Order: sequence, then structure tokens, then C-alpha cells
Amino acid sequence: MDANKNKDRLWKSASGLPLQKFYSESDVPQEQRKRMAADPGVAPFHRGAHPGGYRTKAWRIFQLSGFGKPEDENERIRFLLEQGETGFIMEHDRNTGDHCYNVDHPDVVARREDVGLTGAVMQSVRDIDICMKDLPLETSFGHAGGAVVQHAPFALAGYWTVAKHRGIDLARLPGTGQSDFFLTYLGCVTKQQVPTAAGLRFNADIMEFCDKHLPRWVPVSIAGYNGADTGLNAYQELGALFANAVEYLEEIKRRKTMPLENAARACSGVNFRASMDLFEEASKMRAARLMWVQLLERRYGITNPKVANLRIHCVTAGSRMTYQQPLNNIVRGTVMALAAALGGVQSLGVSGYDEALSIPSEHAHQMSVRIQQILQEETNIQAVTDPLGGSWYVESLTAELVERAWGFFEEIQDQGGFLATLDSGWLHERAAENQSEDFRQQESGEQVIIGVTDHKDDISPFEVDGFMGVDDAYDVALERLQEVRRTRYEAGAGKALSELEAVCRNGNNIMPAMMDALQSEVTLGEIGDVYRSVFGDWATPIQT
Amino acid sequence: MLLRCGLRGQPEILGAGMNPELEQQLQGELERARKGDRGALARLISVLERGGYGAACVERGLSARAADSYTVGITGAPGAGKSTLVNALLGEMVADAQRVALLAVDPSSPLSRGALLGDRVRMHSHAASPAVFIRSMASRGQLGGLAVATRSARRLLEACGWPLIMIETVGVGQVELDVASTTDTVVVVLNPGWGDEVQANKAGLMEVADIFVINKADKAGLEATRRDLEGALASLPQQRRPAIVETVATEGRGAVDLWAAICAHRQAIEESGELRERRLGQLRAELRGFVEAHLEVALDELFATDCADLQLAAIGRGAVDMPAAGDVLLAELWSLVNSPKRR
Amino acid sequence: MKTAGKRILMAKTGLDGHWRGPTVVAKALRDAGFEVIMIGMARPEEVMQASIDEDVDLVGLNIGGHVDVAVRAIGMVREARPEVPIFVGGVVPPHAKRKLESLGVEVYPPGSQLPDIVAAAVRLTGAA
Ligand SMILES: Nc1nc2c(ncn2[C@@H]2O[C@H](COP(=O)(O)OP(=O)(O)O)[C@@H](O)[C@H]2O)c(=O)[nH]1
Ligand SMILES: [Mg+2]
Repeated sequence: MDANKNKDRLWKSASGLPLQKFYSESDVPQEQRKRMAADPGVAPFHRGAHPGGYRTKAWRIFQLSGFGKPEDENERIRFLLEQGETGFIMEHDRNTGDHCYNVDHPDVVARREDVGLTGAVMQSVRDIDICMKDLPLETSFGHAGGAVVQHAPFALAGYWTVAKHRGIDLARLPGTGQSDFFLTYLGCVTKQQVPTAAGLRFNADIMEFCDKHLPRWVPVSIAGYNGADTGLNAYQELGALFANAVEYLEEIKRRKTMPLENAARACSGVNFRASMDLFEEASKMRAARLMWVQLLERRYGITNPKVANLRIHCVTAGSRMTYQQPLNNIVRGTVMALAAALGGVQSLGVSGYDEALSIPSEHAHQMSVRIQQILQEETNIQAVTDPLGGSWYVESLTAELVERAWGFFEEIQDQGGFLATLDSGWLHERAAENQSEDFRQQESGEQVIIGVTDHKDDISPFEVDGFMGVDDAYDVALERLQEVRRTRYEAGAGKALSELEAVCRNGNNIMPAMMDALQSEVTLGEIGDVYRSVFGDWATPIQT
Repeated sequence: MLLRCGLRGQPEILGAGMNPELEQQLQGELERARKGDRGALARLISVLERGGYGAACVERGLSARAADSYTVGITGAPGAGKSTLVNALLGEMVADAQRVALLAVDPSSPLSRGALLGDRVRMHSHAASPAVFIRSMASRGQLGGLAVATRSARRLLEACGWPLIMIETVGVGQVELDVASTTDTVVVVLNPGWGDEVQANKAGLMEVADIFVINKADKAGLEATRRDLEGALASLPQQRRPAIVETVATEGRGAVDLWAAICAHRQAIEESGELRERRLGQLRAELRGFVEAHLEVALDELFATDCADLQLAAIGRGAVDMPAAGDVLLAELWSLVNSPKRR
Repeated sequence: MKTAGKRILMAKTGLDGHWRGPTVVAKALRDAGFEVIMIGMARPEEVMQASIDEDVDLVGLNIGGHVDVAVRAIGMVREARPEVPIFVGGVVPPHAKRKLESLGVEVYPPGSQLPDIVAAAVRLTGAA
């Protein structure tokens, strides 16, 4: 490679911020310099959510995990907990879950081999019960699944119903779902989905329900990750995430059904992506905490530090995992995890090194956990909170990201708000623009990806074969579906289903009816059919 | 002597009997297509799109217009929801025991001449149905909302026994006129909040539309748009006033009403005899379009000759004036069109 | 270029909605002069029907899940349009790549550069 090429290079951050040769005190904006006086754990929190940082509580190792039959997934979760994971994510099969289809839906039948690849098939509370067997529900932080908006009420009600059967008081149950707009309407646009307005209603319903019955549960988790991995850059991810939060808060404000402060707290567990630009990504986490404080104070007058203290779950960029020379991805995962840790996140998932090749294999899963354990135990990174604080570079990056992010936030408001940018495809265009620019830069050589654009000579003796799938997931799911239909109390299921439909139509909170439906063993596909008849299909702006 | 624009713009001479082998092969394809072979039908549309000698051979095998088949045009601005609406409408039509063919036209990129044709994405409900034939067509440089071969493809579909044909085209304002001169019932799709557009294109819209659809009726501004539209139509006599149908295509709402309005319009123009007149007009437009296309090719060619350069230079020197130079070129054009071997 | 008038069908065989990759590829193909017909997430029989009705010169499949779903779609297209070449992109594990290649299908895994994909389309449609 050209040894001189660095000399005439135009140095920029991944989001395009111009970078100086070095930074001095005078480069840090006045306002930011004032903020630097605040300690971690006090507003405006950019220096960290907690004064003790990781001394008080190590970040949670939180990995996606799921495939096959519910019992396969249960086994994998228990394996990961044994490996040192401190929370677990119950993944539902996405073919059935995201679309609210049972396995006998023609669109699933046509792809029956895909069933169980991305998570366990769970079509009724019986399946969810199998998947949750012997899991420490009260002592570890569970993610009930339901990342996609129309699936979330089912997944949550299923998890809660099983917990109730086990005699757990819902008021004491910790955990989260996700119900993420970025995933549902931007990153991973499903073939069929309730419109955004119905999605907003579902999420507000979940927030209300948790406010009443599950105070320890994080009802929704806005995942800028899914925007970023679709192409939004760092400050766009920030701006869009808070624009999303505003939609939720405005809806609750309009309903007047719960204190706005509680709603803000419900929104304060978010999900960001950590990608390869180490300092920009670390700065982004700091910027996020600062922006949340600003948003709540300026727009809603909320200053309660318990609410204004943003908690961040971070996942390393799956899209940066390369197909070529996959073991390089272990290094990438480490760097991205480091960025997240330096940014002071509360919880972290590292994408599998075989992500570009397949669903993560057991070994890739283990490596994702090991990367984090090595960082936590061998690097001393947990000793000092906000280790980058006071760096002129990082402080000015933080300030600049905040400024640009608010600019992007305003652009979204000018478009009519976050939901409007999803409906119109405006946000998709922003992501696609960046994506095309990335491709262009990779062609021109401005952007180097080792093993992909450069150093393609692979002498690595390792062959990663990826996850091969589970043979019997589809057949077992079909049998179990038929068994539920055969053995459930049909009149009760029918009644619960029509009650659910009535509630969908009359606008009341759907969660109580959803709990009844799960309790009465109504199946996922039947619920989806109700949605489809009541809400129709989202008018997706995507053409592929 | 026929002359037609080939795909890459080379004019070709299209005499009968030039390539008997190809002619015979295409006739065979046509036979198969008539018997219901969709592959043959699809390949023949490609032949028509490529133009030139092959297309002329196919066209010779088609009669001008099948009396018992009916064509519905759907037009409106990009994003108005035409394809989504067509999807819902196809459902109604098929339920009515009809077989339907759809030609979905989208513009080609003027720069690359490539195209992204995404209409089918909205039509999953009918993606593998034997009762529905969907063909995406790129305009390939044709202005006016239709593709070069839309009209001949329509005639081919008729010849192959498709009783109902829909043509989806992108149009705003003037451009809709082309679809009007090709189809029997024209549906113009608008959206709420389009009061200004309605005002601006009042004349053009009223000239072409047999039915107005206000799609996305779930959006704000429905009432105002409806009022603007009714206001614009108020001057028309009652029986000539286009129906206005509100739809939410994504939910399939209003598709039944739209289908009913189409059927009613068809019945009305059949009974009044207007359909016969319209078809005469269509034929006229089609023939004229045919001639125009050929003239255009000849013109392009003329302006690539020395003759045009000479006249241009002469005008530049002030040696001749514009009308005189024009006369020379027109005479030249005439002989060019008439010359038996031009290459 | 001789790509003008060449038609390419682009479909996703799985139900997963990652649209970035296929969109970028479709635009690059359009910019190279191809007519790209997109049908989104489609079942094998839908891919087959579109490949017939649209009389395409090339079929591009974006696959996400199990290779057998793609294999079924490929089989159906092959039966209906044996002369039409097929290329595949998406998340394709090595074992799946080998299987697809043994069926005579070209595979473009993540990290493939757009000019290479466009060049393949040009070659496969005979537009070179
Ligand atoms: N809200 C709403 N959106 C619609 C409706 N009909 C279509 N759309 C959306 O409008 C966009 C454009 O639709 P499309 O059918 O491709 O429009 P075309 O360009 O006119 O064919 C898509 O995102 C559709 O989902 C409707 O009735 N209501
Ligand atoms: Mg369209």
C-alpha cells in the first residue's frame, strides 16, 4: 500500500465531520467546556449515567440468541447464562413472528426451511412456556422478544402470562421488549405490517399497561441501531432516535392517561449501534445522554434525574462484519465493543463474527461473550468512569454531534415528524444515500475494508461454515399448532379473540385483551388476522 | 413500405416477405400465444418492444381492435397509489370471474435508458394467479406516459383473448391525453391535499377523466380535495360528470365502488354509442402515432446528414432565411421517407 | 452499451426485509442501462411466474435464509425458463455457496463490489 497516501487524505469521521490534525482547548466550544465541570452521574450526564460507572455495575452482556424449536432456544439461553451472560434475549422466529403468521400460512409454507433459523417458533403460550423453562426470570434481565411492532403485544403478553403461571408477581418482573419503529419500518421492512399509526397506538398501550402493572419493565426500547445499520450516520441516528421518542411522548401527552414523567422514563432505555469509528462512536453515547437531558428539559420541563438519565444498550454493527476473512470480525467486534464501553453504555451485545455468513453459530456466540469478558476482566477498562472525558478531541466531537443531531431532528420535524418520515420514505432515502456513498467510496478507495477492498489474499486456514439450521423446527411447530387447536378450550379462545378484535376497533388499550387471548391459547396467526382485517397493511415506501 | 424505430434508433425498412423464416416463426409464436401460452405472449411483447422488422411482422398478424375486449386506463402522479389501487381492483375484477391483463408503464431514465420497474411489488395478491397477467413496461424514451409498444401490446393481448386490459401509466396534466386516446375508460387518481393541482390542471383533467379516484382517503385534506374537484366539475352537464370515488388502496377500501363505477361507465358509453366513437378516435390516434413515430426517425436521420449541416451553415452566413431552409429540408425529408433503400 | 432493453428480474426469496442491498444493486443495474423489474419478497412460484410474464433475460435472487428455499425457486425458474441465467446475492454461508454454484448459479456474497455485479449482469445477459 502507498505509504504516503495518508498525507493528502481528507480526514473525516465516519459521519463526515471534518477532523483536525489535533485538538486544543480552544477547539472545545464554550458551552461544552462548562459542561465538562459536571461529574459522571450528574446532569447533563454526558460523562456517564452513574458516578461509580462500571465499578458499581459492570455492563450487562446481552446477546441475541435463538433458533429452532422452543426447547432448542431454551437450551441455548441456558448455555449462554452459564457462559456468563447476565441477561437473555428470547428470539422468536421472524418469519412467523414479524408477520404474525402461523406456520401453515402460505407465505411461511413456501419458505418452510427458513422457519426456526432466526429464533424459536412460538405460536401460542405453550411454546413460550417451553422456551422459558427454568429461566431465572426474577433475577436476570429478560428480553421477551417482539422486536417488530405488530408482534410485540403478543410476545410480551406471552412472557407475562407464563411468568404469572409461575407465581411471579408482575409488579416485580424485570425485563424489556422492544417494539422498535426503526427495525419495523426502516431497517427490516416486513411483507405485511400494521400501519405506523396503529404501531404508535400499540406502543402507547404497552407503556400504559406497564405503568399500571409492570413498573420494573422497560416497555419499549427505541433502537437507533436499526437506523444506523440501514445507513443513518452517527448524528442522524441520534436525531432520529429522539424524534422517535418525541412521537411516543406526544401520544401519551395527548392521551393524558399516565404522568408524562413516567412515559419519559419508559422511553429512557434505548439502543444504539457501535461501529468502527472508535472515537466518534464513543462520543455518540456521551452525546445521547446529553441530548436526552436537553430534550426533556426544553420540551417537557422534566428535570428529574431518575428520568433524564438515559440508559443505553449497545450492539456492535452487524453490517460491518465481513463475509471475507471472517476471523477479522473478532477484531472488529472488539474495537466496536471498546467504543461502547468507553462511551459508558449499560449493556452490550457483540455481533457474531460469522454474521455476514449465517445465523451465529455456537462458537461465534461464545466469542461475542468472550470479547466482552476479556474487555471487562483483563483491560482495567472498568476502573475509571468516562475515561475519555476531558479529551479536547472527544469533547468537541461530542459537542459537534449534539449540534448536528439537533439539526437532523429539526429536519425530521419539518417533514412532519418521525412517523411521517417513515411513511413518506424520507428517512429511507437518507439511509440509502449514505449507503450509496459508502459503496462509491469503497470503489474509489477512499474507504478501505480489510479483506474486502484491500488485502484480499486470504491465507487464513480457517473455514467458517456458519449455522446450518434445525431440521425439525417446521414440522414440530406444525404439530404443536394443530395440537393447540385440537386441545384448547375453543369457546374461550373464540371469545377472547372476538374481544381482542372489538378492542382493536374501539380504541381501548389492547393489552388486557391480549393477555386474555394468550391465556386462552389464541394463536399468533389468529391475532395477525385480526390486525390485518382491522388495520390493513402499512403503505411501505420501499420498492424491493 | 414501413419504417419503424428500432430499439437503438436505427430505422429499418419493414417490407413484407423480407425474412420469411422469422416471419413464420413469429406467426407460430402468435398461434401459441392465442392458445393461451403465456410464455409466447410474453416473448411477443418483447418483440413488439424491440420494434423493427419483427414487431411489424407481429403487428401484421393482429387485427385493429377486438370489439369485445375492454381497456381501462389508470393514470395519476407518481406515488398517488395507482399500483396499490390496481392490486385491490384486480381482486374485484377476478372475483367477478374476469381474466385481467395489466400493462404497467414506468419511465425510463433519460440518462442511462435503464429503468426501475416496481409496480409488481404492490401486486403480491395476484403474483402467481392464472387469471392475471402483469407486464411491466419501461417507456423507452416515449413521452406521453405510454411505452413505445403499449398500444401494440394491448392489441396483442386482445388477440390472445384477454377480455379486460388495464394500463397503468404515470401522468400529470398534459401527459394523460395519451392514455385517453388509448383506453375506453380513464381513471385519474388523485390524493387528498391536491386542491392546487386540481385547479392547475382543471382543463386537462376534465378532458380525460371518466372517473376520479381520491386515493389515500385516510389522509388529511380529503374533504377539501373533494370540494375542489366537485367545483371544477360543476360546469359539466349531469350525465357527463365523472364519478368521484374515494379509496384507501392499502386497505382495499373503495375498490368495490371503483369497479362498480367502471362497469357503470362502460355500460353507459356502450348504450349511448359513445364507445364506438371513442374507438374510432383511438384508431385515428393510433394510426397517427404510428406515422409520427416513423417521421420522427426520418427526421433524426435527416438532421444527421450533410444536407441539414449545409442549410445550418447557410443560415449562419445569412445566405438563406429560416423558412427557405425549412422548405429544402422538408423536400429532402419527403424523398428520404420515400426512398426504398436508405442504408 | 448493449444493456438497453435487457430485462432483469430481482426478487427476494425470504421473508426478511433487509432492503438496502437489493436496492443498491437494482439502482446500479438501472444506471448501467438495464430494465430492472422488482417484485419484492416472492414465493418460488411467484418468481417463476414473473420470470415468464416479464420475459426477462436474467433473474437475480436475494436470499437470506435457508439455501433450500432458494434452490426451490431456482428449480422452478429453470423448469419454466431453462435458458435464463440466475445470479444470487445475500447472506450465503460457504456450504450454501457451494451448493448454489454446483447448480450453475453465480453467487455474490456480502462485500461484492457493485462494478463486479454489474459486469456479471452484462456478461450473463449477453450485453457485453
Ligand atoms: N396512506 C395511504 N397510502 C397509500 C394508499 N395507497 C397507496 N399508498 C402508498 O403510496 C405509495 C405509492 O404507492 P404506489 O401504488 O406505488 O403508487 P404509484 O406510483 O401511483 O403506482 C406506497 O407507499 C403505497 O403504499 C392509501 O390508500 N393510503
Ligand atoms: Mg405504480
